[in-house]
Amino acid sequence: MTAPIVSLTDVNLSLDGNAGRIDILKHIALDVTAGETVGLIGPSGSGKSSLLMLLGGLERATAGQVRVLDHDLTKMDEDALARFRRQYMGIVFQSFHLIPTMSALENVALPLELSGQSDAFERAEAELAAVGLDHRTGHYPSQMSGGEQQRVALARAAVVRPALLLADEPTGNLDETTGALIMDLLFDLRDRHGATLVLVTHARNLAERCDRVIRLRDGMIAPEAAAEAAE
Amino acid sequence: MSTLRMAAKIARRELTGGLKGFRVFLACLALGVAAIAAIGIVRAGIEAGLEREGAAILGGDAAVQLTYRFAEPDERQWLEDTAVQVSEIADFRSMLVVDRDGQTERGLTQVKAVDDAYPIYGTVRLTPDMTLQDALANQDGIPGVVIDPVLVDRLGLSIGDAVRLGLQEFVLTALIDSAPDEAAGGFGLGPRTIVATEALEASGLLGAGTLFETEYRLKVSEDQDLTALRTAVEERFSDAGIRWRDRRNGAPGVSEFVDRLSAFLVLVGLTGLAVGGVGVAAAVRSYLDEKTTVIATLRSLGADARTIFLTYILQIGALALFGIAIGLVLGALIPILLTPTIEARLPVPAAIAIRPGPLLEAGLYGLLAAAIFTIWPLARTENVRPSALFRDTTGGADGSIRPIWILTTGALLIALVGLAAILSGLITLTLWAAGAILGAFIVLLVAADLIRRLSKRLSQTKTLRGAPTVRSAVGAIGGQAGETKSVIISLGLGLSVLAAVGQIDWNLRNAIAQDLPEVAPSYFVVDIQNDQLDGIRGLLAANPAVTDVQSAPMLRGVITMINDTPAEEVAGDHWVLQGDRGITYSALPNENTKITSGAWWEADYTGPPQISFATEEAMEMGLALGDTLTINVLGRDITAEITSFREVDFSTAGIGFILSMNPAALQGAPHTHIATIYADEAAEGQILRDIASAYPNITAIRVRDAIARVSEVLAGIAAAVTYGALATLITGGIVLIGTAAAGERARIYEGAILKTLGAPRRAILINFALRSAFLGLTAGIIAIFAGVLAGWAVTTFVMDTDFRVEPVSAFGIVAGGILVTVLTGLLFAWRPLSARPAQVLRARE
Ligand SMILES: Nc1ncnc2c1ncn2[C@@H]1O[C@H](COP(=O)(O)OP(=O)(O)OP(=O)(O)O)[C@@H](O)[C@H]1O
Ligand SMILES: [Mg+2]
Repeated sequence: MTAPIVSLTDVNLSLDGNAGRIDILKHIALDVTAGETVGLIGPSGSGKSSLLMLLGGLERATAGQVRVLDHDLTKMDEDALARFRRQYMGIVFQSFHLIPTMSALENVALPLELSGQSDAFERAEAELAAVGLDHRTGHYPSQMSGGEQQRVALARAAVVRPALLLADEPTGNLDETTGALIMDLLFDLRDRHGATLVLVTHARNLAERCDRVIRLRDGMIAPEAAAEAAE
Repeated sequence: MSTLRMAAKIARRELTGGLKGFRVFLACLALGVAAIAAIGIVRAGIEAGLEREGAAILGGDAAVQLTYRFAEPDERQWLEDTAVQVSEIADFRSMLVVDRDGQTERGLTQVKAVDDAYPIYGTVRLTPDMTLQDALANQDGIPGVVIDPVLVDRLGLSIGDAVRLGLQEFVLTALIDSAPDEAAGGFGLGPRTIVATEALEASGLLGAGTLFETEYRLKVSEDQDLTALRTAVEERFSDAGIRWRDRRNGAPGVSEFVDRLSAFLVLVGLTGLAVGGVGVAAAVRSYLDEKTTVIATLRSLGADARTIFLTYILQIGALALFGIAIGLVLGALIPILLTPTIEARLPVPAAIAIRPGPLLEAGLYGLLAAAIFTIWPLARTENVRPSALFRDTTGGADGSIRPIWILTTGALLIALVGLAAILSGLITLTLWAAGAILGAFIVLLVAADLIRRLSKRLSQTKTLRGAPTVRSAVGAIGGQAGETKSVIISLGLGLSVLAAVGQIDWNLRNAIAQDLPEVAPSYFVVDIQNDQLDGIRGLLAANPAVTDVQSAPMLRGVITMINDTPAEEVAGDHWVLQGDRGITYSALPNENTKITSGAWWEADYTGPPQISFATEEAMEMGLALGDTLTINVLGRDITAEITSFREVDFSTAGIGFILSMNPAALQGAPHTHIATIYADEAAEGQILRDIASAYPNITAIRVRDAIARVSEVLAGIAAAVTYGALATLITGGIVLIGTAAAGERARIYEGAILKTLGAPRRAILINFALRSAFLGLTAGIIAIFAGVLAGWAVTTFVMDTDFRVEPVSAFGIVAGGILVTVLTGLLFAWRPLSARPAQVLRARE
């Protein structure tokens, strides 16, 4: 068996909310092997997005160790995390999160530009073509439909050829048909780059396409997860 | 009016949400109104002060001035019959002579000879403390004299010392601390000496042919109509040369100056209000943007466009009134609190108090400005449809507005400019200024749009690929219409005013302080007697440091008639007709003189008197060759024909006379000479000592000192205007801060995405700073152009001097523009930089 690409040991996440300190994630232990596709499911508020944010270094664990590709994310500062992300990670969100003042092409090229790649725009164009948007490269987010925006977001995640792909309900804001298209593109993307994928989803049929499903409940990994996936 | 009631109800509910989004709105409005109100309060205070002290400054309720003579007994009798009280003053320049240890010392002084009635109003304060009557009374048969301490010091006098004026001996009894009629300055050539007129009888100083002025100061009953009195006096003294003044305008020059300066400052204040208007409009706009869903919901519940419009105009109107009220309170309090400082710095009396007039004026300006800048965004609420609820758009309240609102805005604008023109009394200047502000506004608006388009284009070109920080900064400028517009207009307008002030100030100083001394003489010498002229010329010729000496005979005369018609009826109140003018005569034209039309007289011409007149002034007064002028010289009327016009350059401080006549016309009249001495600066002190010891009666005025005094006055004006411009800039700064604050949310979001995509904080910071710097640079560059243009227009058309671009303040302004925008930008970069991406993105899910 290959070494885990993601390894969480006894991770806790607590945040200060309006009603005092809340423990959002408790004693999370999780290994993900390279090339694996893991589905994260659970009721709303169970901590799925929070866990994904931790994996992406967008959130800091309160306790425990978060290792990704042999890096201890808990020991890296903000800027190191940013550089790490643009080198190894692609992240897709439910609300697309494109930069409104940039065209589709600029949005996609940005991570490559940030790491100083000279062929950023060529690769961005190719990636947009791969999601079927080669005719809309100059459009701004406000000029595109939700599905198109999410395709741009996918292209942006893919363009760095990420080792680790993180997706948080990428179809949550889309209708069924568009959602299915996005999912196909996502899995296609994973296959093209041989990436490891962690996917948060509510949809049962998507969970079935994963190698393994992990269920969260009240900030903890539910023990019956594996069994459920096997059903 | 149920619509109104409904609207009021909704408005009240919405307003209870607090003023958070309106801090910039209130600050902009309050600041503009406060500046204008404060200027108005100070101006009204000075006017009131001058009016209150008018009679004292003048020395009576009214004054009739005669030149070189006393009133005839019948004239005097008539004045006594007309007024409650009459005081007779004679004023002339003389030398105060002191004999001490066999040596004679002289000092130039301006003598005021007074009667028992002087002063009608106020008191002359003396040291030691005594009444003027006692001080001037005979002491053992010798009359008393009181003298300005400056002169007493210079001559080394002490109380009890004997001095002479002409042939009359006096004894110094006291020093003058203050005299009520000297308050408004009066640029006499020497320090003051006061004596009793009757004591001068034996002095030989007030005889025929000597130069003196008399003034009859009248005290009249409270209900006396001064205008009627003036008419009566002018009829009675229909002979030449009387001058009338009355307490309504005790210091006409001063109050006119104050009027103009404050009118000008109000214009600067209005610019501030225009800058503030940008902030006001932006605040209203973003408030209404946030209310789009509320408006759409109200619409879907059945509220019509009118109700919505009323709802928001009531809210904004209430807030505007609140802002204006704050401004009025500040504008009234600041001058009151600063009264001691202001009064100490003013050369004139001021009675600063809260007066309704200036406050009303400022409030009106505030209301109009608030309306002009809020109608547009308010009218857009009419465009919001219920469907905005179901679309994922930020706007809804955008697009074009109905023509009626455009017309209303235009009408309000005209009302504002009209009001400013009427209230300032400077109609042409106001219209020009309004045109300039409006022009600058439009230029900046167009420039902002252009910059936005260009940036958008530029961000998409291949040039910036691979430089994501620069590219995304440029792209952001192209993408955020509101921010780009607000920053460029508010900063641009503020910097333009500052740039214009900088250019004007520098050019003015330059004209006076730099250009002038290169050609200006060292000394201007007056009172040279006929028999002294050759001696002085000889003395100066022997001094190698003297490069040139020019002299001209000089008399003083008043132009009374033009073509046998009273001069004022022909040429109005042109300055050449105000009081007496220097007149010269000359056989040949000066070597630098350029005759522009007509011909100079033959050198030995002895026929009927002829005049050569200054071209520019002649044109202003509407004079033509062949016109005759009647000039009263020492009480004698001389009528002469204008036979030539010539260029007279006053700017070089050389000898320049408006009027020159042929020698035969004037030679017989008693006169003196004036001279200009050109010499090395280092030798100036010695030259003065030489002249003063050889010819003690002569007065030499050091040109450098005169220039320094003028520069001082100019510096004061420039400072006042700069303060006004700074108020504009501060308003601009508030708008900038407001804009940056409004953009913070968007930047936090953008920062989070950039971090997610792998941008380190430094790159994000540079990105934000670049945007600000670029906008600041643009505003600064436009401001330089606008400022130079305005500076050129003012120096060329208003001040009539050459214009050169002053680069230092210009670059300073660009640098300042960049600095200010970058600093305000960075002020609001902290949160975007420090926020955790997870939190920000989660909030947007
Ligand atoms: N900034 C925060 N401060 C306090 N509590 C927070 C914060 N962010 C999230 N939470 C809480 O943490 C818990 C987990 O949130 P999270 O978004 O990870 O859940 P989720 O499983 O992704 O839910 P959903 O399926 O609705 O997206 C929730 O109870 C949420 O209210
Ligand atoms: Mg979630």
